[in-house]
Amino acid sequence: MTQEAAAATTQVVMGYSFWIATGIFLIAYAFIVSEKIHKTVIAIFGAGLMLVLKILEQHEAFHVEELGIDWNVIFLLISMMVIINLMRPTGVFEYIAIKSAKWGKGEPFRIMAIFAIVTAVLSAFLDNVTTVLLIVPVTILIADALQVDAMPYLISCALASNIGGTATLIGDPPNIMIASKAQLNFMDFIYHLSPVIIVIMVFYIFAIKLIWGKKLKTKEELKQRIMAMNENEAIKDPVMLKKSLFVLAMVLTGFVFHGALHFQPATVALFGAGLLLLLSKTHEPHHILADVEWPTIFFFMGLFIIIGGVVKVGLIKWMSVQVLAITQGNMFATSMVVMWFSAFASAFIDNIPYVATMNPLIVDMAKQLWPDLSGLSLLHHADLMPVWWSLALGACLGGNGTAIGASANVIVVGMSEKLGKRISFGKFMLYGMPLMVMTVIISTVYVWLRYYVLKI
Amino acid sequence: MKAKDLMVPLQEILKPDDTLKDAANLLRIAQRGEEKIGVKALPVLDLSGNLIGILSIGDILKAVHPAYMDLMNLGSFAWDGMVETFAQKAAGKQVRDIMTPKVITVKEEATLMECIDHMLKNNVKRVPVLNKDNRVTGMLYERDVFYEITKSMINENTKGEK
Repeated sequence: MTQEAAAATTQVVMGYSFWIATGIFLIAYAFIVSEKIHKTVIAIFGAGLMLVLKILEQHEAFHVEELGIDWNVIFLLISMMVIINLMRPTGVFEYIAIKSAKWGKGEPFRIMAIFAIVTAVLSAFLDNVTTVLLIVPVTILIADALQVDAMPYLISCALASNIGGTATLIGDPPNIMIASKAQLNFMDFIYHLSPVIIVIMVFYIFAIKLIWGKKLKTKEELKQRIMAMNENEAIKDPVMLKKSLFVLAMVLTGFVFHGALHFQPATVALFGAGLLLLLSKTHEPHHILADVEWPTIFFFMGLFIIIGGVVKVGLIKWMSVQVLAITQGNMFATSMVVMWFSAFASAFIDNIPYVATMNPLIVDMAKQLWPDLSGLSLLHHADLMPVWWSLALGACLGGNGTAIGASANVIVVGMSEKLGKRISFGKFMLYGMPLMVMTVIISTVYVWLRYYVLKI
Repeated sequence: MKAKDLMVPLQEILKPDDTLKDAANLLRIAQRGEEKIGVKALPVLDLSGNLIGILSIGDILKAVHPAYMDLMNLGSFAWDGMVETFAQKAAGKQVRDIMTPKVITVKEEATLMECIDHMLKNNVKRVPVLNKDNRVTGMLYERDVFYEITKSMINENTKGEK
């Protein structure tokens, strides 16, 4: 595209509301990064400011797709949380974990590798935080039984969950947000991201074997402790388990076909949550709904409104112009900048606000590149697709870089501390950062090879 | 009947830097009235005699019960000897790390009903009794409250408060 065309579409009026909105956005993000005040409080207050200062009308915040709350993301998250909260008491996750440990025959590294794969697969279909919450307690129990250091297992669990979560639309919040913004369906993610995640997992297993394989040793009699565990005792409610598995299978099938059936993912998940609530015959939905992570949900809602404000005043458009100036409209360069910048940004800041900002930025960038296009032909432009995938790969995998890079890491480190197995920031980074760089290098090769060489 | 009439006057106390091993032993052999029959909880006082916590036998149970067991149903997967291992690890810990720092107390002048009210509403069974200067002067145990109640039940002539 020509410079003139870019100039024609990049008129941003930097008036009073531009600076107010930009100020709210920057101050809010600074507080979120500093963690001085809880991020949810900041997000809600920032959103309130955007509305009360009339940067954004309430109607825009609640009902306009490009500016307001993305209800598809909100309801997908809530519904999946409800389904998991109903499934948890059945004991199915304890069952899976104990079964995996026995499958590892009590061998410490074998168990570590199997746990990494199980965590990755679970994370691909449940949210990462839920997965690590389910895996960490069992992991420490197993490490205690084998009298080995639990730390490598815990770090590996967090890393594997972020890798696995990258594989699907529902695996990680950035993907949910990208899918909703770019109108990509479940199978798009399976087709474009799952292959590279499988490759990454193979490399990951070799890498942890190199790092920890030799250090993890146990005695023969301790292995017997694992083999003596009876995973069937974990199942507390077989009837509810059957109902949950039925609904989960239905929801996953729904995800596979949601594109073809013209259902949004949130529709599928909400129906599943409603059905499982009904089948559970619960008379007290309070505690199931109370266990939804409302702070996370409100964090999303607040962020969407804050971002809506800066989108409306043109800050995001201005930023997209700067990105285009750097990449000169070269789409391979754009993909690479997006992937690597996202990876390092996500390693240090929450990838949720990051992706919330990047999504409209990429849309604005596309509008400048192809001013004649709109709707799906714009969002799904062949040259833009690799940029979406690079954003997903960078933002999700980048979370592995540090202990604060992803919610799963924060939870694992927090739980470990509470459980008396402290993992320092430096210790996590020592393993997380090199492994993160490895996974992003693999992703770089993948994106380059698949979209710019083989073009498939 | 007031708290001070029913309480066991303060005899043994724990210090925050006592080891759990010593604390547990003291709980086991503490004086209760005339006899050394053990108590279910003791107050933890700092060097200046301020109440900073309470250590009960429940806290000792918690000390050998790894926190991860609370997060999931892992009871069926415990192995023989697990408690012994954790007990040995916990023995060297300090009282301040295991005690319950939030203590429900009653004043010496509290009536029996107020004591019961505190016990039921806060789900505690042993309550340190404080004097006017907020110093611990004794411990009120559920069992002694129970005996007092049975006295009224059995001897129906005792009506109202003394």
